[in-house]
Amino acid sequence: MAIEQLKTEEFMVNMGPQHPSTHGVCKLVIKMDGEQIKSIQPHVGFLHRSIEKIAENRTYAQFVPYTDRIDYCASMNANHAYVTAVEKMAGIQVPERAEYLRVMMAELNRIASHLVWIATFAIDLGAVTPFLYAFRERELILDLFEMTCGQRLTYNYMCIGGVNWDIPQGFEPKLREFLKIFPQKVNEYEYLLTNNPIFLYRTKGIGVLDMDTAFAYSVSGPSIRGSGLKWDIRKAEPYSIYNKFDFDVPVGHTGDVWDRYKVRLNEMRESTKIVQQAIEGLPGGDTKVKVPMTWKPPEGEVFSRIEAPRGEMAYHIISDGTPKPYRIKIRTASYCNLQVLPVIAVNHLIADLVAIFGSLDVILPEVDR
Amino acid sequence: MAGNIIKEITDGIYNLILGLAVTFKHLFKHAITLQYPTERWEMPERSRGTIVLLSDPETGRLNCTACLLCSKACPVAAISIERIKNPDTKKFEPQSFNIDTTICCYCGLCEQACNFTAIKLTGKYEFSASDKSKLLYDMGFLQEIGRDVKYEKREKTAAKKKAVAKAETGEDVGGAPVADAKAESSPGSGEAKKED
Repeated sequence: MAIEQLKTEEFMVNMGPQHPSTHGVCKLVIKMDGEQIKSIQPHVGFLHRSIEKIAENRTYAQFVPYTDRIDYCASMNANHAYVTAVEKMAGIQVPERAEYLRVMMAELNRIASHLVWIATFAIDLGAVTPFLYAFRERELILDLFEMTCGQRLTYNYMCIGGVNWDIPQGFEPKLREFLKIFPQKVNEYEYLLTNNPIFLYRTKGIGVLDMDTAFAYSVSGPSIRGSGLKWDIRKAEPYSIYNKFDFDVPVGHTGDVWDRYKVRLNEMRESTKIVQQAIEGLPGGDTKVKVPMTWKPPEGEVFSRIEAPRGEMAYHIISDGTPKPYRIKIRTASYCNLQVLPVIAVNHLIADLVAIFGSLDVILPEVDR
Repeated sequence: MAGNIIKEITDGIYNLILGLAVTFKHLFKHAITLQYPTERWEMPERSRGTIVLLSDPETGRLNCTACLLCSKACPVAAISIERIKNPDTKKFEPQSFNIDTTICCYCGLCEQACNFTAIKLTGKYEFSASDKSKLLYDMGFLQEIGRDVKYEKREKTAAKKKAVAKAETGEDVGGAPVADAKAESSPGSGEAKKED
């Protein structure tokens, strides 16, 4: 065959649904030119459990265990988002001790969620060691949760009107020990990854997300903070008692994969500070206001949002005065963050797609709900 | 240009050594894993594992009064109870008490709803089965696995509740709107059950 007759053409590759680096069941249909990505089409919905529809057939209290399953890496934050929304609608005043416990648990879970992220992200890029170390520290947090509420992933800890359980005996010394050792452990991850030349080649200047694109696709959480926007709902619209705590909002500069990594690392340090302040200032008193089992909120609707580890998590609840909600709409950060992937991954190599996908910290049950 | 390359190389080597130093330190640390079948973690007191039915240690009878509160609180309708009236005591007793542990989500709402300390989520585990039908627990099995569970009986009878409420007069129950629990006790779960 003469050399003039040879030609090149673009071809399609299915990445997923069972690909290890998609962290769940997400299918990416990629159009490729050699090793270069020309376009990406994410296919979601494999994990759809119709949680929003289920909510219409459950009472307000019965729906709390379902919120655990929206984001299984950060169930406490998902609980927090739901209960604050219901309490805002009904005007329930939560005891101060319960608020402190909520913030403490939510921040611990943020650390645990980021630890899972750093572990899986590193292993995607070929670094196995941080995976083992991060899971070791996460185990300490899960032990604390198990002591308090008896479960390791689906906590069902917060309820409408407070928290279900007070902290048990022996919780405080264990937490203080964790807070003492944890900052050193974050430094360890930094030694392993931050300036490692292989890691730098895989992350610096890859998947740059500029501010305009981030706004257009309503990216939130650490992903937009990596692009340099100082936007954190804990600071911008303080819910619960976040205005009582002193912490910083870490931001990046260029918006590449490395910046998003750095933002999450620093967020773990800031969360440690918040937990430290919460345990120092933990007031006494009740942890729960009594809400009857079949309880009817007033008619009306509410929109309430919180800062989950992956970004904004918002609940829009419409009540028609019956014990069950008329409609619940859940806004999850992962769904919006995933939409930006086709935009920022174009013209990168397929090996970089793994890094970019990982850096957005998408969790699939949250995408599909 | 050449200076940049040299700096890059030295930085790279320095940071690689920094990372290797961390892993080297871990060579001399103890393993944190346990060899599962021979060693076991101690389960915390509040652990939410297998559900058991508790019985009175003296009489050996179930604490359950078949009030159906747990089955109404259950978000997945995993609990089904049939009850009969005891002709001698004129009180309800459970005739059958089945828990479908294949759909149970271990949320613990049944335990919170129970006023008689009759149902409890315990730290027991290792109840896997090769047949799905073996995961539908009946009353006898639930009572059997709950025999050795230690618990403190909560006295939450209506009379006691009233006495406590009287003692705490002036203290508001908070901002919670008070709904008549008896008047609309059923709509929560009755329909949910049908759909499941």
